[in-house]
Amino acid sequence: MGARILVIEDDESIRSALSMFLESEGYTVADVENGEEGLVAFNQRPADIVLVDVMLPGLDGFEVTRALRSASDVPIVIVTARSDTHDVVAGLEAGADDYVTKPVVTKELTARIRALLRRSTMGPLSDHVVRIGEIEIHLKAQVARLRDDELRLTRTEFHLLCALGENPGWVLSRTQLLERVWDYDYFGDIRLVDVTVRRLRAKIEDDPSKPVRLVTVRGLGYKLQP
Amino acid sequence: MLGLRRRAILAFGAGATLVSMTLAFATYAVAHHYLLSRRQTSSVIRTMANARFVQQELASPNSIIPDVLSSLATAQGTQSLLYRHGRWFSPSVSIGHSYVPSSLIEAVAAGNPAEQRTVIDGAPAIAVGVPIPSIGADFFQVRGLGDLQQTFGTLGAVLFGTAIATTVGGCLLGWWAGRRLMRPITTVATVATAIAGGAIDRRLPVDLDRDPDLGSLSIAFNDMVAKLELRIERDARFASDVSHELRSPLTAVNTSVDLLEHFRSSLPPRGERALDLLRLEVSRFSTMVQDLLEIARMDARAATLDLEGISIDEFVGRIVARRGTHVPVRISATAAGSVVQVDKKRLQRVLENILDNADAYAGGAVLVTVDRDSSGTCVGVEDDGPGISPHERERIFERFFRGAAAGRRGTTSGTGLGLSLAAEHVRAHGGSITAENRLEGGARFTITLPVIGE
Repeated sequence: MGARILVIEDDESIRSALSMFLESEGYTVADVENGEEGLVAFNQRPADIVLVDVMLPGLDGFEVTRALRSASDVPIVIVTARSDTHDVVAGLEAGADDYVTKPVVTKELTARIRALLRRSTMGPLSDHVVRIGEIEIHLKAQVARLRDDELRLTRTEFHLLCALGENPGWVLSRTQLLERVWDYDYFGDIRLVDVTVRRLRAKIEDDPSKPVRLVTVRGLGYKLQP
Repeated sequence: MLGLRRRAILAFGAGATLVSMTLAFATYAVAHHYLLSRRQTSSVIRTMANARFVQQELASPNSIIPDVLSSLATAQGTQSLLYRHGRWFSPSVSIGHSYVPSSLIEAVAAGNPAEQRTVIDGAPAIAVGVPIPSIGADFFQVRGLGDLQQTFGTLGAVLFGTAIATTVGGCLLGWWAGRRLMRPITTVATVATAIAGGAIDRRLPVDLDRDPDLGSLSIAFNDMVAKLELRIERDARFASDVSHELRSPLTAVNTSVDLLEHFRSSLPPRGERALDLLRLEVSRFSTMVQDLLEIARMDARAATLDLEGISIDEFVGRIVARRGTHVPVRISATAAGSVVQVDKKRLQRVLENILDNADAYAGGAVLVTVDRDSSGTCVGVEDDGPGISPHERERIFERFFRGAAAGRRGTTSGTGLGLSLAAEHVRAHGGSITAENRLEGGARFTITLPVIGE
């Protein structure tokens, strides 16, 4: 595929195993052993995907995610130790797009990476500009605008906007969103959806606590108001 | 051996009885003696006075003895008699000299004033005799002690009654003292039971000012419990910590194995087989670590459920379909389309573990059923394998129990934890899981989940 992956992992064995594996899958891999070096490396040569372990010496994974996020919309996958503690939610809130849990299953990792590298599509509308209320989605450029201001969205947030915007006013369940946006099956983690909705609302709503554009329909899911 | 309380009651009661009875008897004896001797003394003095009077009266020749006798000022119940020149005189006919004891008569006849206790008509009396030599007579007076007798009776009754009351009082005191003694022991027992039941953070109250003896016991006890608590926490964390530490090396190993797959074509046949073995064992090891971590998590945390409303038939259907084994799923009319509140991740584990179990020991599941009624949801997994022996049925959900397969690793990656994890997850939902044999052979596992906040 040729995409560039930046791996930030302090455990030497994991770092070299993952790097070699991803290279054998056709990716170009740069790897560093701590957060500071990771940020420097990213500044020098931005990657297409960043893989960062939450537990790093010095700058931890969350801080690295936040730092990366403030300057870029690069897709970030965090590597967590446990899936049921707040690590996942904290990572997602910090700006990560997805997560994998140790011990890492390489099949899952490559699936995550593939899902994140896709371009957002909206069916046959791929060359168009789609307007929903005050939001404009420019599919060719893969950006969105709100009242003429360009929205700084992560890849995943953009995916989500497109999925909801494909049929404005239609409700999509969280499971459906998981499948469309993250390419998970029925058994994915719905926290991904909830946190990303929260982050998207923070960017497109005038008052995120009282959403009027991205609305929750209790018991059913979410919808984008036309 | 009697308990502390009974012994306290007995001791106090016995002590009270002893003291009060002794006192009662002593008081009675002293009073008895005192009153009696006083009566005796006063009788003698009276009689002597009366004797002088008689002497004076009988000095005149005209006196009639019975009249003189009856004119005597005597106390109640006193009989007076005079013996003179071989004849007995008394104020009334009914009184004969038989009243006077013969030994007294002899003593007085010998010229000595004397007194003697005697019995008249069954009642105690005191007889006093005084010789009156000047008129050649012996003067006697007999006085009944019946009134004294009554006094003694009353006194005795009162004293005895008091002794009884004191004994009862002593027993009550003993009972109360026993209870007071027992209270700190009862407290220790209560707290110890609570701790044994799981409330490891309970402690005994320590108040050295109030009770220094109990205080030092409390301090020692609390110290012991604190150390035990630390030990238990450490033990609980150990399995979890170890398993957690294994995650990182496992990641490296997993990834390396997957990497090796890329080079499979350049491996000789034995190399390929080695790679297969490696892959299988690493997978098995990984599952074991995951299971252990999950078990440790279950032990550590309270049953916090991450509830989500799901369509139960879709959920079960998808889990079965994922395995690619085409096991038929039969959904009852009441279950079709119904939304149930469950912890998705946990229930997924439950079903997958049971299906894995069926694959490992019974050649795979043959039917999965979903049913629903007012009391809850029921999911069943059936197989037509060898079934479950009665001995196994009780133990099948125990940790590390592998039944007939124990000791045989064979081709299964069973850790013996799968079913016990399933049972714990079901229990966390407040539900139940059973294993039984089907009539047509094979086994049936039934998960029942109660209705949760719908």
